[in-house]
Amino acid sequence: MKKMNRRNFVKLAAASGTVMATGIGVSQNALAGSITMQEGGRDFSPITKKERQAIPSACWQCVTRDAMMGFVEDGRLVKLEGHPDSIRTLGKLCAKGQAGINHVYFPDRILYPMLRVGKRGEGKWKRISWDEALDLMASKLKPLLDAGTPELFMYQYGRHKGSQSSIMHDFMDAFGSHTIGTHTSVCEGPKWVGQESLWGGMYDNWDYDNTDFVVNFGSNQFETHTNHIPTSQRLISAMVDRNVPLYTFDVRLSNTAAKSTEWVPIKVGMDGLVMLSMVNVIMSEGLFRKDHLKYMRVSPDYHASDDEKIAAIKEHVAKFTPEFAEKESGVPADKIRMIARGYAGAKSACLITYRGTVMHYHGADQERAAMLLSAITNNLDRKGGRVMGVGAGWKSPHSPKARVQKGLDIVNGFPGEAAFPTHQVSQQNLPMIKDGQNGRPKVYWASCNNMAFINGNNKEAEAVLKDENLIPFYVNSNIVYDESSQYADLILPDVTYLERWDTEDMVSPTGIAEYYIRQPLIKPLGEARDQGEIFYGLAQRLGIELAYKTKEEYVRLSCDMTPGVREAGGFEYMKKHGVWHDKNAKPNFGFYEAKVDVSGDGVILDEKTGVYWNYKNAGVSEAEAKSKGYLGVDGAKSAYVAQDIEGTPRKAYPPNTSFTKSGLLDFYSDNFASRGFPAFPTYTPIPEHQKMGKDDLHLTTYKVAVHTHSRTAHCKWLSEIKHDNPAWINSKTAAERGIKDGDSIKVSSDIGEITTTAHVTEGIIPGIVAISHHFGRQHSGIYGSGKKSPTTVTATADPDAKNMWWDKFGTHPNTIIPNSSDPISGGQRWMDTVVRVAKA
Amino acid sequence: MNGAERSEVGINWKKAADSAQLRSNVYGLLSTVFREEPTEALIHELRGPRLSGIFSDMGVELGEIFSSTSESAAAEALGLEFTRLFIGPGRHVSAHESVFAEMDGGTSSLWGRKTVEVKNFIETAGLDYQPEFTGIPDHVSVELEFMQKLTAWEAEKWTQQDRKSAEYCSTVQRLFLDQHLLCWLPQFCDAVMEQAELPFYRSMAELTRNYMEFESKGTQKSK
Repeated sequence: MKKMNRRNFVKLAAASGTVMATGIGVSQNALAGSITMQEGGRDFSPITKKERQAIPSACWQCVTRDAMMGFVEDGRLVKLEGHPDSIRTLGKLCAKGQAGINHVYFPDRILYPMLRVGKRGEGKWKRISWDEALDLMASKLKPLLDAGTPELFMYQYGRHKGSQSSIMHDFMDAFGSHTIGTHTSVCEGPKWVGQESLWGGMYDNWDYDNTDFVVNFGSNQFETHTNHIPTSQRLISAMVDRNVPLYTFDVRLSNTAAKSTEWVPIKVGMDGLVMLSMVNVIMSEGLFRKDHLKYMRVSPDYHASDDEKIAAIKEHVAKFTPEFAEKESGVPADKIRMIARGYAGAKSACLITYRGTVMHYHGADQERAAMLLSAITNNLDRKGGRVMGVGAGWKSPHSPKARVQKGLDIVNGFPGEAAFPTHQVSQQNLPMIKDGQNGRPKVYWASCNNMAFINGNNKEAEAVLKDENLIPFYVNSNIVYDESSQYADLILPDVTYLERWDTEDMVSPTGIAEYYIRQPLIKPLGEARDQGEIFYGLAQRLGIELAYKTKEEYVRLSCDMTPGVREAGGFEYMKKHGVWHDKNAKPNFGFYEAKVDVSGDGVILDEKTGVYWNYKNAGVSEAEAKSKGYLGVDGAKSAYVAQDIEGTPRKAYPPNTSFTKSGLLDFYSDNFASRGFPAFPTYTPIPEHQKMGKDDLHLTTYKVAVHTHSRTAHCKWLSEIKHDNPAWINSKTAAERGIKDGDSIKVSSDIGEITTTAHVTEGIIPGIVAISHHFGRQHSGIYGSGKKSPTTVTATADPDAKNMWWDKFGTHPNTIIPNSSDPISGGQRWMDTVVRVAKA
Repeated sequence: MNGAERSEVGINWKKAADSAQLRSNVYGLLSTVFREEPTEALIHELRGPRLSGIFSDMGVELGEIFSSTSESAAAEALGLEFTRLFIGPGRHVSAHESVFAEMDGGTSSLWGRKTVEVKNFIETAGLDYQPEFTGIPDHVSVELEFMQKLTAWEAEKWTQQDRKSAEYCSTVQRLFLDQHLLCWLPQFCDAVMEQAELPFYRSMAELTRNYMEFESKGTQKSK
């Protein structure tokens, strides 16, 4: 091309002028108004306002969802910090939270609706308008409504909570589809199922502010936890200020174990056994407390005496002697006795359990063992003990529900796979679609979810998403191009949580609910759009009536409808302050003791179970109620009023989930027995682990402090800190295989093989390898995946990539971890895989 | 006469106005090219008699798409190219000053400090961003549109024989070029030329680069 000179410039410019004069310009000018200039002499000085505003909002980097403050200057988000007035977080925010800014401004962010061109996975895209995107979606959804088959529209989410969840459920109810996929079963499903079989609710938390002793099984509390900041800082304060001991049982020296009074190495899957052995010690040495017995059912008899209950518990745990537990778990018998005595002897004590305990075969039952240990030492639901987390109870607007309400049965696993999938078997959602026996959705909309990465045997999930015959129309709401959105037919640009309205409700460990909101710190970038607006746009096209037009309206209505918040000043108050709690509220420790008035019309006492329930609310006659009994009437559990506790009706533990039970803690569970599972918490050896050969090792996975499962890889500050996941292996185990630190190794399971690097350490028990699961990204930006080739779709637009000093991006362990469910709860058995390891 | 009241005899008002207007035309064309996917109407004009001869003279290669296919096919192909080149997903050229200009210490990002400076500059000149504009304030097409508007205003002032305003406007243009556009447009154009698969955007980027070099000589002269 010739250089520009005066002559060709004039020609070009003249011709351009004529072209522009024909009206060929951009469809919309970016700038409007008229230029106003001071007359000569004065300097042109653009005003820099630099006024920094502090706006309260809420984090979303993990499920803890801390209240926080965002600092905005000149329309730009510049800093995120903790919220000083939050009673949950006490002003703190973790590294992930502070790096949230990386989500908003990274140049690879998806900012426009993108339509696939060419084949799925080919990587060719066309930008389209929102009107076109919504028209297209509506054109796929309308025929389902017309045909009376709303269930063929499936919504699959990963992280949805608070109003992000309730508004979605409202829309799906208005549409009529119950085909909604979650992710809990790959997260902590067995924990919840185990607890629901007992006390009804879930989200156990811990009163560290008042505790005297803490025992931790399988939780990396200080790095990663569902209530991370609120609980971690309180536990650290307890240890530092009051010398509260913390004993951590873990297969590896996590950072939590490292900060504990003692790390107690334990073999894989043995947490429940050691807890039962602690119960054995406590019962046989008479260290138990009787206080909670009246709320416990430990045999088929609902009316057993304390002595009968004590005898029954002793009988159940008789075989779990410390010596037996030592043989199986590797934990010395003396250690079990010492910790059991310390736990039972403390004025109050907390027992922590998490994924290390529950993501196993019969993981739900191991959680029941934890609840038993807490209950027999009176460390359940009282000051200083394991408590129920208390969260905000927001009221929200409701749209009219569709007349036809249906759902495909593809979210509870394969038939017979799990007995109590109360939180789904979501790792099987895509395999169920592949299988087809219970039907397949025609429209599949994934939001904040990355099955192609996070699933066990994730390659299988990827293949299903790619197949147009299995999923005819696939929409993905996202901010980043990742392993799952790469196969979408339509990618919708989601807002980041920093550009969004929500009401929020994560639990307080202090027993007092905190009401808080999320609000946009800045205007959404590009054409990113909140789900609330998308639902409304679709509803208009489908002829569905919604109770709101925008998420802001939904939040405003919620604030003005919710008692307490309303009186404090509603929406305007929440926008200004961000958080609210009832200053007169008392912690709900001991809630189960509350006396209940049972004189209401329709309330009767069921003799067999001791339950007071209202037959009128259950929709039956008094005669039927009395003849069938509480357990015999469908829906009776929703009509629960109270439990007879030694002659006094008390609230106790209402059955507020799928389990039909009395208000007692069902340590003896007819539900479990009826499905062939042990009725009382017990030790069930993990099948694969009984058949391990000489060369076989366990494979476990874990999380690190600076990453959420899959949503943070493109946050460059976080990936800078942690971007690799070498396989932890004990020096003895490594030496047996001729492996030295840093060696390339092959790790193979029944379904595949990966090559990774060995991290040889004393900080893990022999006989296992542990690999963190955040890494080995195929996509999600260059900081996560490291894709540098200009010919691949995932290299970056970010010139900052040249400042990337690291060149390791890890290996994903999920490709060799099978999709395999706990038969009780349907939880994904992340920690049960058997592998072979050899030098590569 | 004092120093402020210089003689205005001898100024060719029309020539000065035309010169500014010509610059405005080029800025307008380039802004249009980088703002969004090309419409069929734009393609029609680009390959029409007015421009194609000049492009040919200058060695601006638009590519076979312009000569051999229908306007709708060309629009489709160029739409895909525009998306791949400027939107993503995946590797693309993020056409924003803050992405190119703030590369030290991990600060390169959308909506950086430069974005704020550009927005403030444009607003100080009296303009506003349209609410319907969903781009980011320092997008290349916005900075080019700003120059288009400034130069058109300068032309208007010359036509009105308002020398003070016209010259002041010229000063402001030079400030914007020196503090903003010229700081990053060459690298932006290089990135587009490297990543373009079809000749059209490669040529437009090269043309833009050449034009900015031409403009920068103007700012050097005035120093």
